[in-house]
Order: sequence, then structure tokens, then C-alpha cells
Amino acid sequence: MTLHAEIPFDQTDLATLLEHGDAAALDALGFGVIGFDQDGQVKRYNSFESQAAGLRAERVLDQDLFLAVAPCMNNFMVAQRFADARADGTALDDIINYVLTLRMRPTKVRLRLLYQPGATLAYVLVQRP
Amino acid sequence: MSIANDHPDAQEYEALLQFLYMAPVGLVQLAADGAIQMLNPLSAQLLMPLSRDGGLTNLFEALEPVAPDLRLLCANFAEPQGQVCDAIRLYLHADDKSGGPQVMSLSMLKLGADRLMAVLTDVTVQDRRERQLRKTDAWLNAIMTNITDYALVSLDRQGRVESWNESIERVTGYDSAAIKGQHYARFYPDGATTEAQQLDRLREADENGWTLDEGPRLRADGSQFWGSAMISPLPLRSDEAASAGACASTQPVVADDEAAYCMIIRDISDKRDISEDLRKASYSDHLTGLSNRRAFFEAADLELKRRKKAARPVALIAIDADHFKAINDRHGHPAGDAVLAHLAQTMRSVCRQVDVLARIGGEEFAVILPSVALDDALAIAERLRAEVASTPAMYEQQSIAYSISIGVAVMDDALDGFDGLIKRADEALYAAKRRGRNQVAVWQPPVTEQA
Repeated sequence: MTLHAEIPFDQTDLATLLEHGDAAALDALGFGVIGFDQDGQVKRYNSFESQAAGLRAERVLDQDLFLAVAPCMNNFMVAQRFADARADGTALDDIINYVLTLRMRPTKVRLRLLYQPGATLAYVLVQRP
Repeated sequence: MSIANDHPDAQEYEALLQFLYMAPVGLVQLAADGAIQMLNPLSAQLLMPLSRDGGLTNLFEALEPVAPDLRLLCANFAEPQGQVCDAIRLYLHADDKSGGPQVMSLSMLKLGADRLMAVLTDVTVQDRRERQLRKTDAWLNAIMTNITDYALVSLDRQGRVESWNESIERVTGYDSAAIKGQHYARFYPDGATTEAQQLDRLREADENGWTLDEGPRLRADGSQFWGSAMISPLPLRSDEAASAGACASTQPVVADDEAAYCMIIRDISDKRDISEDLRKASYSDHLTGLSNRRAFFEAADLELKRRKKAARPVALIAIDADHFKAINDRHGHPAGDAVLAHLAQTMRSVCRQVDVLARIGGEEFAVILPSVALDDALAIAERLRAEVASTPAMYEQQSIAYSISIGVAVMDDALDGFDGLIKRADEALYAAKRRGRNQVAVWQPPVTEQA
């Protein structure tokens, strides 16, 4: 199965699909995808997210996600969940309601927090209502 | 709209966006009613954990649990523009177990009739540092401030006045017969201190070399003045020091009725007037004049530290006005405010001066009762409930009857922080609400299955 626009945000095996999907595949999705490594550096940033935030990927890649790209998630509700999952080596797959400040406008979104033990990248997926 | 645009304006726009995304302070633009129009990510980082409905639509609502008087503060700001508040401290948790920031700083600027700007920063670390510094400041003030008059009192090991001199009479009006042999609590108004607290101060002086406190003091004729009192242990005479060392005891060997401490009481009523406004602004709730969350958490911290040194009861009662939203809806916000002010006044009339009375949320109040065990705390809570139930608040010649629900909890060794105690008092409060309101409930440990 490949990635395409109709893939639902809450599809179960999404972590594996993202892992194997290339940049073009991620860009085909109908929600935002941010992948980051264990140092918190953004390694993947799809075009849906880029459009919503108003930033091109080259401005964001290799930046620290929670300090320079999305400080709004740098609290126990998001950043801490990833830190705990990595530290404990446990899987994280949860959907929460959140408010992002896309172009400084408060925007209600659903965030899916994804991490599989042993994986290089963790993912935040962003769905706008 | 496409952003893959190389036009210079598009790049400028993108750079500006990123600048705001990365700004290390929270910025929020809001309408006069608190509706959030724009905000940057750091604001969301700080505000989202406070949001009760998972959204961020109104700043006053988002901050209500920690700054209940913000809406009123902004509404009362009459100037067309200017600074509504400057770096006021918002206290999120009593201790650091919950993680994340515990203290935020908030500045509000009015830019026009329907536009406000808020600046939020996490000042948890700074706040901790300042608390340390303040202690040092109080000590320096005690020494450096210009002294008009002071009384020099020697106390025995139990805190009783050991001998009389003229300075005592000048400052407090007591003659020798009336004060000699009396406990130093005689200088405090009724209810301003507890026995455990007085012994604490002596112990603190033993450990630190000094202890300092400020507050209302009583003269022989019953009149009050604002006093600062410093107590320090008297140095042992060399022969006593030698014998103290010889018997390997850390307690100085002084007979019970010999001078063991020196206490200096200064009348600082003048100085107090100047600093009082400043103190009020940062430590009391704008509407009720009770302690705000900042003062409340600092007092709790102090009381728990004392409890660690010497075991004693500490009780907490959590109070919530019943159906408060209905009162606001029916009579309007100003009437609601009058009810809260009335409740605060009733709390003052029922509690002692040593108790810490605070407004900790919109219609939520709490009282820390030092050295009070469960039975007495329940009695006080019940008296408060009954008093409120029998005396309606008045607003514009209109009598508004209301009631309160109360939860009572006491500190025990199973709890290691104040947040835990608050949680228990809150649970008891919800139990009182569930049982039909206008009542007092005490915290019950969860039922556990035991063989």
C-alpha cells in the first residue's frame, strides 16, 4: 500500500507507511507530517504542513522542533510524551486535541503523536478540522 | 496560496512568520472582552496546559484559574491606552512535581478601546531566585533601615520575657510587673500567632542565628502598631560553652529562666505605609483584598517547611460559592463580585489572623489553618458555612442569598507536597457539591480491599 491523499489521519499502520514513504509520498497526504530525530531536529516536513504554517521546508529542516519550529508543543502535553516514550522505549500512538498558532491565528487541530521503539524518527501529524 | 515564491515580499513575510514562531516570549493580541485574535507559539505552549476545554479562544477564560481578577483589572482600566499591569506573577502549581513552568509573568498593555496586548513569560527559575534574595533583603532592612525607636527584650529558653528595661516601656507601654515572665506572644494581637509558631521562631533562631518577622504588634493599652521583630540566640559565656561541648549536647546549657535570646522590636509603622501599596499589589487579590495565589503558595511552602522541622497539624479548607454562574447570570457580574467580596469578609470574621485566606480561582477560595487539627478545622468550616447561609450579600439595596460548599483536608506524612493537600481538599469539596451543596465534607481516603 502506498501513501495518497485519501489515507485517513487515524489509520493504524501509519507509522510504518511513513517510515517507508519518500518525500513525494508524504506530500500527497491530506494532513501535516513532521518527522524528527532523537535530538529533536526536524528531518521530514511535508507540503501540507508547510502550507499551513507558511514556512518552506528548507527553513525548518534540521531545526529543533520544540525550540525553533513549534515551541507551542514544548510542554508536558506533547514534547514530554515523546521524551518519555524514547526514554522508556515504549510505543506512542495517541491523538489529542490541541491549538496551534498557524500564522499566529489560534487554530484547533488534532495531533497524532507517533513513536515506535527503535525507529529513527518520531512523528507529529497535524489534522485541521 | 502558494508559498514557494521567490518574490522578495514573500520571503520577508516568511522570515517574519518564523521570527514570531521562534520568539522566546509569549505574545497575545486580544479584544476588550478577552477574545484571542492572534498569538504566537510560546503563548500556546504556556496557555494550553491551563485550558479547560482544550481550546484557546479567550485569554481571560484561559487564565481564570490562575488570575481570576484579570478581566476586572482590564475592565477597570479607564485610560484610552497604557499599561494595565506590569509583570504580575501567576502561580500555576504549589510545587514542582507537576513539571513545566510553575510561575508565569504577565504584562498587559491597552492599545485602544478594543485591543489589548499580553506578554507572557515563564519565570519559574527567576521567581525561586528572588525568594531567596527577599529573605536576605528583610535581614538587611532590619539592620540598615533608619531606626527611630526600638525595644530590646531578653527572652528565656521558653520565650518568656526575662528582664524589663525602659526601651520596652517606650515602644510597648508595658511596665516591669506587667510583662516580666510573660511569653513574648503578649506583644502579638489575639490570633496573630500560635504557640507552635512561636517555638518555631526560637528554633529557627537557634539554627540560623536569627529569625525575623513583620506584622501587627500590640501595646499594653491594646492599641496596635506595625512592628518588625528579630530574635537571635545570645552567645554562651565561655564557661558555659565549654561545659556544653563537654556533655556533647547541641543544646546550650542554660537554665530555663535565664536569658537565652535577644529580641529587638521596632515600630516601623511609617515605613510600612510606603511599602504596603506595593506589597498589596503583588500579594493580594484585586477584588477581595485576600491573599492571591502567589501569597497563598508562598505561605503554604513556609508552613510545610516548618511542619517538616517540627510535626504539627496543618489543615486546608477549600471553599466554592454554589451556583455562582447562576448568580452572575441573574444579577450581573458586579453583583457577583459583591457576593465574592461578601464571602471574603465573612471568611475574615470567622478565621484567625494567623490563618492564610486566599482567593485561588474565580469563585474558589482556600484557607490554610496552621496548627489546627481535623476536628477544629471542621468546626471552623461549619461556622463559615452557617454564617454565609444566614447572611445574604447586599448589592444596590438588593439582598442576594447564596451558599458555599467546603472541603476539608489535613496534611499527613503520606503527602509530600502542597499540591497533594490541595487535591484532597478539592476532592472533599466535590463530595460536598455532589451531596447537594451548602455543606462541609472531609476528605476520605479511597476504600482499599484488605485481607
